[in-house]
Amino acid sequence: MARIELTGIQKRWGAIWGVRDVNIDIADEEFIVFLGPSGCGKTTTMRMIAGLEDPSEGEIRMDGELMNGIDARDRDVAMVFQGYALYPNMSIYENIRFPLRMRGVDKAEHDTLVRRAADLVELSDYLDRKPGALSGGQRQRAALARAIVRQPQVFLMDEPLSNLDAKLRQAMRVQIKHIQRQLRITTVYVTHDQIEAMTLADRIVIMQAGLIQQIGTPDEIYNDPANTFVAGFIGSPPMNLVEGDLQDGRFTAPGIDIAGLTLPRNGKVTLGIRPEDCTVGGHSTQLKGDVYGVEPTGDITYLTIKAGEKLIEVKADRSYRSELGVPETVAFDPARIYLFDSETGQRLR
Amino acid sequence: MASQRKNSRGESLLLRYAILGAWALFCLAPVLWFLSIGLRPRTEIITPQPIYWPSFSLDAWHMIWEDWPMAKYLRNSVAAIFGSVIIDLVLAIPAAYSLARYTYRGRDDIGFYILSTRMMAPAIVAIPIFFLFRNVGLLDTVWALMLVYAAINLSFVTWIIRSYMLDIPKELEDAARTDGAGDLRILWEIIIPAILPGIITASVIAMIFAINEFLFTLLIASTPKAYTMSVALANFTGGSDGLIYNAIALVAFLAFVPVFLVVVAIQKHLSRGLTMGAVKG
Repeated sequence: MARIELTGIQKRWGAIWGVRDVNIDIADEEFIVFLGPSGCGKTTTMRMIAGLEDPSEGEIRMDGELMNGIDARDRDVAMVFQGYALYPNMSIYENIRFPLRMRGVDKAEHDTLVRRAADLVELSDYLDRKPGALSGGQRQRAALARAIVRQPQVFLMDEPLSNLDAKLRQAMRVQIKHIQRQLRITTVYVTHDQIEAMTLADRIVIMQAGLIQQIGTPDEIYNDPANTFVAGFIGSPPMNLVEGDLQDGRFTAPGIDIAGLTLPRNGKVTLGIRPEDCTVGGHSTQLKGDVYGVEPTGDITYLTIKAGEKLIEVKADRSYRSELGVPETVAFDPARIYLFDSETGQRLR
Repeated sequence: MASQRKNSRGESLLLRYAILGAWALFCLAPVLWFLSIGLRPRTEIITPQPIYWPSFSLDAWHMIWEDWPMAKYLRNSVAAIFGSVIIDLVLAIPAAYSLARYTYRGRDDIGFYILSTRMMAPAIVAIPIFFLFRNVGLLDTVWALMLVYAAINLSFVTWIIRSYMLDIPKELEDAARTDGAGDLRILWEIIIPAILPGIITASVIAMIFAINEFLFTLLIASTPKAYTMSVALANFTGGSDGLIYNAIALVAFLAFVPVFLVVVAIQKHLSRGLTMGAVKG
C-alpha cells in the first residue's frame, strides 16, 4: 500500500519534451487513471513511477521515500504492459512465478501464491500452456496474474486492454476494478479510452502535451471541465463547442441565439453543450438548423444539425426519425451550458 | 466438383514432392558421389572409361584409420570447432546485448569495428598470428586453433545475435525489470531463450566456417598433433603415393558428417519463431 507524490516532474530527451510539469498526489489505495491522446506524456509519467525512466527534473516519492535514481527492480511496483510482455519461453505458471523468484519470496510459498493469483483471474486451467497457445484475453489475464502475484505496493497498467475486442474489454474492465478493490492496492492506469477512465477511476488525470489539464473524479471531469480540451475529450459523442459572441448575457452564433446567461462579460466566447443536454423540437429558438444526419443505434438516436457552418451533435429520443435537410430546432438545458475563453480555452465562470 | 478439387490438390502435392525431391537430389548428389568414390577400390577411380556398376571396397576406409591417425584429426577438428563456438558465444552474447540495448558514446563505431575485422584478407594477419602463437607457446596446439577460429567468427556471430536481440520487444525487458530482475538475469532468463534460434543459426554458420578453415590451421598445426580434417585432406594430395582420391573423398565425407549431424539435431530450432506469443498476436 503506498501513497505516490509527483512533484514538478519533467522529462525531456534533448529538445523533445515528454512531460513538462506534472504535480500530483496519489492517495493510498486510490485508482488513478491518466487519460489523454497518444504522445501526451501519460505513459512516460507511468514509466517514471515504475523506475523505467528517470525524470529530468522533479521528485517521485512513495510513502514519503524519495524514489529518484532507484532502479525499477528495487521499487515495489508491478506493471502490466500494453503488449502483455509475457515471457514466451516460459509456461504461464512460470510467467506468474517469475516475480516471486526474482524478489526472493520463500520457495515454499510459490505454488500457493501462483495458484491464488491464477484463480483470481480465472486462469487456473491454463497454467501449463505457453503464452503463444493462449488467446488475447487469456494472455492479458496472465499478465495481470503476474502483476498481482506478489501483492506489490503499486500497480501500474499501461493501456492493458487496448489490444482486446470491445466485448472482452468491457469484461476485463470489470475484473480489473474488482481485483483492485479486493486487493486494495494503489493503482495507476494509463489509457486513451475515456470510457475506461470514467468507469475505472477514483480520480482521472487528463493530460495533453506533457501537461496536466485537469485532475478530478469522473463526475467532476464530466460535469465541470476546466477547459475546452477536457470538455471535448470526455463524453461520447464529445461536447459541442461553438464560437460566438456574448453581449449582456446573450450568446449568438450562426443559427444559435441563447439569452439569460449570467456571465458578466462581453466579447468572443466558446459555448459548450453536451449532446445529452439538448432537447429536440418544441418551440425553442435557441438553435435553428437543418438536419444533417440521423443515426439510430437502437437505444438512442444521434442527430446532427447544421447551424450556420457548424455541425451540432444531439442525442435524440430512440424513436426520432427525420429526413435530411428538414429544419429542426433544439433547446439547451440552461444549467448545462458551459462557456470558455475562445483564446485560452479556459472555462469562464 | 469436390472430387475434382481433391484431384488437383493431389496433383499439386505430387508436383511439390517432385520439385523438392529433385532439389534434394541436387544437393545430396555431391555427397553421395564422394561416398561412392570413397568406397571404391583405387584402381577403379582412375580408369578413364566410365564404370556404371562400381565395386565396393573398404580399402580407403581401412587406410585412413590405420595408416593415418584420422580419429585424432577428427577429435582435433571437433574440439577446435566446438571450443571456438563456445568462446564465440561467451563473448558475442554480452557484446551483442550491449550493442543492441545500451546507449553509449561510440557504440555504433564499436559495432562497425567488430564487423570490420571480417573485411580484410586473412593472409594479412597470418604472419603476425603465427608469431603471436609462437611467442605464447601455443603453436601446434588445438587451443590455438580454437582461439583462431573464434577470432575469425566472432564478428559475424556478434552481428547475427545482435540483430535477433533487436527484434525482441523492449517491453519484455521492462517487464522483467519491474518483476525484479537485474541485467544478467534478464539476459540469461529472458533474452537468451527468446533468441535461441539466432544463437543456433550463428553457431552453425560458425561451425561451417571453422571446419572449412584451412590457411590458419595449416599455419598453426605443423605436426599431426594439431591437424584437423581440413589439413589432413591435404596430406592425401602429395607424397610418394600420389593423389589418393578415394581416401580424399572419404575424409571429405567424414569432415562433412559432424556438422551435418549437428544441423539435423537442431534444425527445428533454426527456423522456429520463439518470440511468438510474447506480445500481442
